Amino acid sequence: MAKKPSLGRQKIKIAKIKIKNHLQVTFSKRRSGLFKKASELCTLCGVEIAIVVFSPAGKVFSFGHPKVESIIDRFLARSPHLTNSTSLHLVEAHRIASIPELNVQLTCMLNELEAEKKRSETLDEMRKASQSQFWWEAPIEDLNLHELQQLKDSMEELKKTVTVQANRLLTENSNSMSFFGTNNISTIRGGGVDYHEMKPAPINISSSSSAASHVPSYGYGYGHGLF
Amino acid sequence: MTRKKVKLAFIMNDSARKATFKKRKKGLMKKVNELSTLCGIDACAIIYSPYEAQPEVWPNNIGVQRVLAQFKRMPEMEQSKKMVNQESFIRQRITKANEHLKKQIKENREKEMTEVMYQCLTGKGSIANLILPDLNDLGGLVDQTIKDISRRIESLKKAAASKSVAAPPPPPLSPRPQQVTVGGSGSNSTNHDMMTRGLMMHTLEKRPVVDNMSGMGGMQRTQWFTDWMNNPSEQNLGLGPGYEMPQFVDNTNLVWPNHFFP
Repeated sequence: MAKKPSLGRQKIKIAKIKIKNHLQVTFSKRRSGLFKKASELCTLCGVEIAIVVFSPAGKVFSFGHPKVESIIDRFLARSPHLTNSTSLHLVEAHRIASIPELNVQLTCMLNELEAEKKRSETLDEMRKASQSQFWWEAPIEDLNLHELQQLKDSMEELKKTVTVQANRLLTENSNSMSFFGTNNISTIRGGGVDYHEMKPAPINISSSSSAASHVPSYGYGYGHGLF
Repeated sequence: MTRKKVKLAFIMNDSARKATFKKRKKGLMKKVNELSTLCGIDACAIIYSPYEAQPEVWPNNIGVQRVLAQFKRMPEMEQSKKMVNQESFIRQRITKANEHLKKQIKENREKEMTEVMYQCLTGKGSIANLILPDLNDLGGLVDQTIKDISRRIESLKKAAASKSVAAPPPPPLSPRPQQVTVGGSGSNSTNHDMMTRGLMMHTLEKRPVVDNMSGMGGMQRTQWFTDWMNNPSEQNLGLGPGYEMPQFVDNTNLVWPNHFFP
């Protein structure tokens, strides 16, 4: 199901929001955006920042680089940066050293997300195009009883074909597996930053046979990977 | 306002870095201001840079001190609960981005699978090339689609039934409970009427397409009729099979073999 598009960017009056719900949503989003901007400023320009924000509910959010407390202390003391003990310095230095790598990871992830979003748009366009051509691709609500019945029957035929094929592959697999041993079974990793390796085997939509040469990333121990 | 994508790394070029700092610092202060005004909350910002001896602040020195005092009055736990630094914040962003990515990939896979399903339906795509996990997902999708279609068929039949039940007494002009019921299902029945008309249009348009589908087998159509006749839910009409059908069949002479309706 397609997501309803949002209202997009709209000009708003800079005055206290009247509707409580809107206010809370706005706070949540803008606070998040504010911290993001602060984070970027730190990365890009190597400056030290602290931001303290109270929520409408009275909770406090704070962002600080290198640390909220040290910036606050520095400001209030109005004297040069207070020296911490050596051990704390090391811990903090270690933490700070990991930041560039984290940024790289984040950038990577955001790029992939963008790519997938583009793919989503492409797929939507494809569907729209086919829907205008073929009546059976229209949403179910648009079909009449006769069409529905016809579609249902075709679907059930397809289901049978798929089941037959699946069973065939299963028996083929068990045959080859019993011969070579179950040495290619790998668990599908989920979550974590390595997720991008988990993408499902690309499905070839055209009826070309090149899909058969795709080594499945699921590692079910098919014949492919063994030859 | 440039819309070039900026690499998320320290800007090596001194003048570029300084320029970026000035712009972004200004923007950041504006954002804090807006947040505070729009949501009616207290906030402060402190920025130490190599370019100024004194920190740049929002709203002003007194304002910052006030907010910081407020902050320090809070219990330690409350202070640190929502406290982040660069490292933890970026980690949070990575986690969120990962979740979005997973969701999007899943969504895309479903869309792709739908394409495959429709292509296989018309014989344009072949399932011979699919690997087992994809095949399983395809099967699942087909099952789900069949379920949705069946549900829709049931609700349409119910609507047809309620229409036929409500129709006999001609509804008086003044609204009455029965009228309301008719009105209630009326939306369905209007739909039903439209569908009937639509079908006549559809079949005309769809002619070549239907012939395509017949590639599935002429046996298919006969199967359909036998199934339909035997379908117990049809009995809900209470009038036996074939009651509604004449409306459907009226201007269509191509899908159903004529011998079926005497």
